[in-house]
Amino acid sequence: MNNIKCYSFPRTPKEALSVLLNKKANAIAVAGGTLVAKTLPETVETFLDLKNLPLNHIKKQGGDLILGATATFDAIDNSKLAQSWAGGVLSHAAARCSSQLIRNMATIGGNIARPHSFNIFPAVLLGLDARVKLLSEAGVKTCPFSGLYGPGLGAGPGRDLIILEVIIPARTKNWVCRFEKFARTEASWDAYLTLFMGVEIADGSVCAARVIVGALSPKPFRAASAEQILSGARLNPGVIEEACLELARCLDTAHQHKADEFKKEVAATLLKRFLESLGQPA
Amino acid sequence: MKKENAEIKAVNGYFEVSLKINGFRKNLKVKNNEFLLDALRRHGYKGAKKGCDTGDCGSCAVIFNGRPALACLIPAFSAHGAEVTTIEGVGAVQAPHPIQEAFVQAGAVQCGYCIPGMIISAKHLLDTNPEPSEGEIRKYLDGNLCRCTGYVKQVEAVKLAAKRMKKQTVTGNQ
Repeated sequence: MNNIKCYSFPRTPKEALSVLLNKKANAIAVAGGTLVAKTLPETVETFLDLKNLPLNHIKKQGGDLILGATATFDAIDNSKLAQSWAGGVLSHAAARCSSQLIRNMATIGGNIARPHSFNIFPAVLLGLDARVKLLSEAGVKTCPFSGLYGPGLGAGPGRDLIILEVIIPARTKNWVCRFEKFARTEASWDAYLTLFMGVEIADGSVCAARVIVGALSPKPFRAASAEQILSGARLNPGVIEEACLELARCLDTAHQHKADEFKKEVAATLLKRFLESLGQPA
Repeated sequence: MKKENAEIKAVNGYFEVSLKINGFRKNLKVKNNEFLLDALRRHGYKGAKKGCDTGDCGSCAVIFNGRPALACLIPAFSAHGAEVTTIEGVGAVQAPHPIQEAFVQAGAVQCGYCIPGMIISAKHLLDTNPEPSEGEIRKYLDGNLCRCTGYVKQVEAVKLAAKRMKKQTVTGNQ
């Protein structure tokens, strides 16, 4: 932070964007600051603090769940609305992030702004088919969460884009979901493995399935072939076994390097426990 | 009417920040690479402790704009306009807060280094949830590491403080 010359604390996203786009300002956008405060590049001259932006809402709009970018982990953990959505998976995931003192400060926008293997929310948002509302020079636009780190979005969030909201689609409200973090301790900020599992069940069959693996790479990935086994199936021990074996295989094939054996076993066990807990095999 | 700039500039690497500390308006000169913990300690608020300096141990916790936060992760200049409560604002030797008394009486203090942060967290918990369960207490203190004890006494202390504070509220209401 030796070269910080200006502390900017705008009150509207538009003001924030204008600071960000001002090349002379050489600004970096910071929300909760738990991650970037200690690792600011020395080239940064303007500290653009987003904490005053009116974006800390958690609300329902048109049936969708809307999470403002500066909603903290603690707010999401304790939100009755978030707790009522998809089995409370968002709240549960928020509660699994590091410690209470971090959860008081860290925001969902900050957690998804950059791809990092230790981020909690990306796996959950990918699993819930979330969309992200962004403000850029061209105006407000939404994109699927899966496209947030892809090409076509310029330099990315916090560089020439401001994340405004995360939109969780209405159709996921009644999905049965679970988030698991396998880490050294409960409060560890990084994990050996995170897993989002979600299913929508109708007439005893799985009509939508999501299995997302996090913590193994900066971006979480979908175990699409394991999802395919589950989609359309009636859950029975055979299907569950097959899906778990496939998930373990996905951990290898999704990356250039083979995943550690214990991670494959953990992932398969967590998925098995989740699917068995749905009570279908009985 | 000219709109007020939502920014402050550093002069020779220093920011002039205006904030409230323990209810009193203060103007502090802080360096651009300084964190709130260091700035507070340099200005005499030595209750907040420097432990890990990486946001892991919680010994630097202060109440920042109404929420317990890690002063070691907050750039000092970003406290401009903020309200900060340090352990000095919670209670003093002559007039301790019920949580501080409970920590002493429950034997929850050994070396004491983590205790200011723990009391800050406990105070916010009891202010917002006067009757927390043991699970809630443990969850709320999960960011305050103690290397002397096994946390049993601290949890007991928070339970004791909750009881006393409830009693005081009831008595006060009569």
